[in-house]
Order: sequence, then C-alpha cells, then structure tokens
Amino acid sequence: MNLADIVDKMTKNSRTLKKVFFGWLALVVLFDVVQPRDDAHFLIDKIFLFWSVFGAVGCFLLIKVGKGLAHLILGKKEDYYG
Amino acid sequence: MDNFIHPAYVFFLGSLLVPFLKGRAREALLLLIPVSAIFAVASLSEGTYGQATFLNMDLVLGRVDKLSLVFAWVFVIMALLGAIYSLHVKEDGHHLAGNFYVGSSLGAVFAGDYLTLFIFWEIMAFSSVFLIWYRREKASLAAGFRYLLVHVFGGLCLLAGMMLYYFKTGNLQFVALLPEGAGVAEYLILAGFALNAAVLPLHAWLPDAYPEATVEGAILLCAFTTKTAVYVLARGFSGFEILAILGVAMTVFGVIYAVIENDIRRVLAYHIISQVGYMVAGVGIGTAMSVNGACAHAFAHILYKALLFMGAGAVLYMTGTAKMSNLGGLARFMPLTMIFYVVGAVSISGVPLFSGFISKSMIVAAAHDEGRLYLMALMNLAAIGTFLSVGLKVTYFAFFSKEAPLETKEPPRNMLVSMALTSALCFILGVYPSLLYDLLPFPVDYRPYTLYHLSEAFQVLSFTGLIFYLLAAKLKPEAKINLDVDYFYRKAAGYFLKFDQRVIGPADTWWGELWQSIALKALYLKASLAYLFDQKAIDGVVDGSAELALIVGSKTRRIQTGEIQVYIGLSLVIFFLVVFLFLV
Repeated sequence: MNLADIVDKMTKNSRTLKKVFFGWLALVVLFDVVQPRDDAHFLIDKIFLFWSVFGAVGCFLLIKVGKGLAHLILGKKEDYYG
Repeated sequence: MDNFIHPAYVFFLGSLLVPFLKGRAREALLLLIPVSAIFAVASLSEGTYGQATFLNMDLVLGRVDKLSLVFAWVFVIMALLGAIYSLHVKEDGHHLAGNFYVGSSLGAVFAGDYLTLFIFWEIMAFSSVFLIWYRREKASLAAGFRYLLVHVFGGLCLLAGMMLYYFKTGNLQFVALLPEGAGVAEYLILAGFALNAAVLPLHAWLPDAYPEATVEGAILLCAFTTKTAVYVLARGFSGFEILAILGVAMTVFGVIYAVIENDIRRVLAYHIISQVGYMVAGVGIGTAMSVNGACAHAFAHILYKALLFMGAGAVLYMTGTAKMSNLGGLARFMPLTMIFYVVGAVSISGVPLFSGFISKSMIVAAAHDEGRLYLMALMNLAAIGTFLSVGLKVTYFAFFSKEAPLETKEPPRNMLVSMALTSALCFILGVYPSLLYDLLPFPVDYRPYTLYHLSEAFQVLSFTGLIFYLLAAKLKPEAKINLDVDYFYRKAAGYFLKFDQRVIGPADTWWGELWQSIALKALYLKASLAYLFDQKAIDGVVDGSAELALIVGSKTRRIQTGEIQVYIGLSLVIFFLVVFLFLV
C-alpha cells in the first residue's frame, strides 16, 4: 500500500477521523484538569481550561474579523492593480 | 587576522565559478559552496577580525560573537538546503544572485561598523531582486521594481541615520544603543532596519514581492532579509519599547491577512510578518530571555518557513498555480510534499515536538515573566491564527478538499530531498532544544516541556481545530486579493498623478493666466508710469537746466563783442553798481 492509498483511505473514513478528533479534545480537557499548577504566577494560569476557551473564542474572532474586513474593505478583484 | 576566512567570500568567489561549469561538476560546485561556508563558520572563534581604516573610519569586517554566530549558523545551513532545492535551476544568474544574497547577509551579520553593514545591506537588496525578476513574468518585473524602490528608501534612511550618528558621536561603530539617549540619528537607523524586518507600517513590500519570486528564489528570500534585520535590531535596539508594541501588532496583523488570502505563498508571506513580529517583540522586551527567544525563533523560523515555501513552491512548480481557489485534493498526488508541508505547518504553529514550540514560547514566556500579559495574550492569539491559516486552511484547501482535483505528481527529487532534510531539522530541534539553546547569546534558563506549557499548547491548538471544523465553509478561499498599505504607492500614486493632471496642472495654468492678466498688467502700468516720470520729471529737470544754460550762454555771447572799449565800459558800470549798492 503506497502513501496515496493511505491518504485515500483516510479521507474516505472521515467518521473515524471525527471520533479520533473528539476523543483527543476530551483528553486535552482532562489533561488540563489534572495537571499541577504549582508555578502559576498570574490569575490566568490558575483558571481551568482558560486556554481552551481562549483558543475557541480567539479562532472564532479571527475568522469573523478577517472575513469581515475582507468583505467590507480589503477584498478586491485579482486584476485590481492592473 | 589569524585563520579568519569570512564565510561571505566563500559565496562571492564560489558563485563566480558557476557559469564555467556544466552538468555534475556544476551541481557539485553549487553544493560545495554552502558546505565550505559551513566549515568556514565552524572554524570561527569569537573575536574581532578584518579591521581596516578608511578615511579615518575604523571598519570591522568580522565581529564574531555568540549573537553573530547563531545567525551565521542558520544562514549557512539554510544556504545548503536552498542549494539542494534549487539544484535543477539552469540560469547561472539565478545562482549568482542567490549566492551573493546569502553572502551579503553573512557580511551584514559579521559587520562591526555601520559603513560595512550598509554596503552589505545594499548588496543584499540588489542581488535579491533578481530572485524575483528571474520569474520572468510581468507581475514579477513590476513587483521587483517596487521591492527595489522600497529597499532603496530604507537604505537611504539607514545612510542618513548613519551620517547623523557619525556627526554626533564621531565614530561608526555598530554597538547597542540605549533608548534613553536616542535621537533622530538613532531612529532613522531604526527605520532603515525596521523596513527590512517588515515592521508595520513598512511591511507591504514583503507580501507584494515574495509571492512573485521564482519558486527557488522565494526559499532564500523568506530566510535572509527579515532575519538579518532581526539580527541588527537585536544588536542595536534591544529594549526599545516601540519594537515590543509594533512586534506584537505585527503578529496579529500578519495572521488576519493570512486567514483571508488566497495564494498560498501570499499566506506564507503574511506569516513572515507575523513570525518576525514575535522576534521584533522579543528584541523590544529586551530581557536576556526575550532576546534569546528572538534569536532562537529566527533560527527555527528560517527552517520551517523555508520548508513551507518549499512545499508551496513544489505545488506551484508542478501545477502552475499556488492559488487555493484553483487547488484541492493534491494529497492524493503529492503525499510526500503534503507530509513535509504539514511538518512545516505544525512547526510554525508551535505543536510540541517541533521547532516552533521551543522557540516561540521563549518569547511568550519572557513577556509573561515581565508581567506583560496583554503582549502575551496577543501573541497567543496570533498563534491561533497561525495554526488556523497555515496549519489548517492551506493544508485542507490545497491538499484535501475534494474540489477541482488537478492531476499531478511529486516534484523533482532534489526538492523532495531538501524538504525531507528541512523537516528532519524542524523535528530534531523540537525534540533536542538544547542543540539550539547552546548557540544562543545569553545563558538559557528555560524549559519548554513543562506540563502547564504542554497543556496550554494542546488546548489552544485543539480548540482552534474545533472551530475550524465547525466554520471551514466560511473560510473557503476566494479568488481575490486584499488591500494593504502598498495601495498608497501602487494605486494612490496613480490617483495622485491623475489629480496632478486634472487639478494641480489646470490650477497652475489658471494661476499663470491670472498672473499674466493682473500682476503683469500692474507691472506694465507701473513701468509706464515710471517712464512718464522719467520723461516729464527727470528729463524735464535735466533738459530745463540745459535749456537755461543755452539761453544764458546766447545772452552772454552778445556781450562778448571782442571790442576793448565795451569791456571797459561794462566794467565801469559794474564797478559803480557795486559801489552804489555798498553805500546804500
């Protein structure tokens, strides 16, 4: 089996991939809950799942702000500069 | 001067032989040049070499210390990887330009004074532009000229700053400057450096030019110009607060554009701004740890960014396009390229076990330790955008999404070998960070692999993945370009010309006519009045006195008859008249 076939197989089994991904997310959450916080300096270091929320909200904002700017002002046709 | 072989000369002299060789010998030479340079760098020991005096200025060609060495190391390693990747390039000029570009970057890194630095700085600009022009497309030609103009402007800022600095201090030594005593001279030098580091708002040349470069040239371009600039900033401007703020602004600015761009190489170019932002911020924060972080990140960044450009370049080389809106499903045809690209993508995103994780986090941790939490939060936000755009968006839309599958195959073997080696380096640095930490200018007291840091990285990246999974349809690439500040010299300059033709030009003509009709007429009037005054008043007086003299003269002539009795008679009359007047 060559690499191309493996890629094919992976893309065809997206349900399995989805399960693996959500399983991984659960592990990440669990890991943050159990990991020790001995050398926490600031408040954000002590809040459980701070970085999960930060990641999700930050990603959402970047997509919204980026796409919003592109559609409102920044986006131009490819031949804009001639 | 004992045993000092400047690594730059290896590139300069070696590349001059390239046009004389063919086939295997030429390929061997192209590899031998960077290999020799690696040995030249390995043979260097700390010290000052190549000193000379020119017009009372002390020049230093070889300042070798830990700071210059860490950059020199990654430059020569990158030169070798780049040489392997571009082995198939037939144009001798392309190799010459590439080698001169790398050589002059090394020259700038080892320069101990501003004049030497400036000369190598300019060779860099003028050699690198050929890596854009060799693409031989109309867009590349224009982008190259803009690139050159912008860099000449930056060079002039540097030159002006240098001169003022010389008049101020009486020397041109390139040493660390203090933010407290900095004046116009220092800030002009800073502007020249900042332009090459693509610091906002002097950044637009980068995403304008790099995506138009040749496939092979872009590998070198993305490595040297901005990182040489990071080196000179670290050398001269450590602790300048403005750099901390602008650097963090760059990290976020770059990823916002990367999220919306369509051309893979343009996405990557905006990511250079973002990643160099971390380094600039590290320099600006100015602690030993943050400057270490800036150097470590420059080292790691050169490798993974080159790897990403190699992957994107391979796609462009094989399919003829790097626009995601025209790509998709390439993993089926280019699985190795995809894997190497993903290694670059996880490295830049700071995934544990890869190089970005051990370098970027040093700068973020330095901001954390200094209590600069908002800087830290923004840098982490930028990390989200990095993974979102380079890691997920490009990988998904170029290599996986099923639309528009193009039939193609893997790129030439030399490209694959170069990508494999670069991938290996990204992984090795991620697993053995001490290899890199030992090269850094200050002693390193930082451990990247703590449970908290691992948890932080996994949470941020995984939940970014979750949002991408939910919103991928929103990110579908669009066949568009996005405005940036280059608008002002690409479009607004044209508008200004039109404004000049339609408003300034006519206004000038109108003013000219107004001048003629009012001011000139007033002038004529004044002149004719003066003429009249001259004729009637001045000439009148002069002519009048002349006429009087004539009249008096003609009257007097009558008494001068030449007869003696008349003269005597007249004398007697005058005598009696005087006596009479005297007596009365």
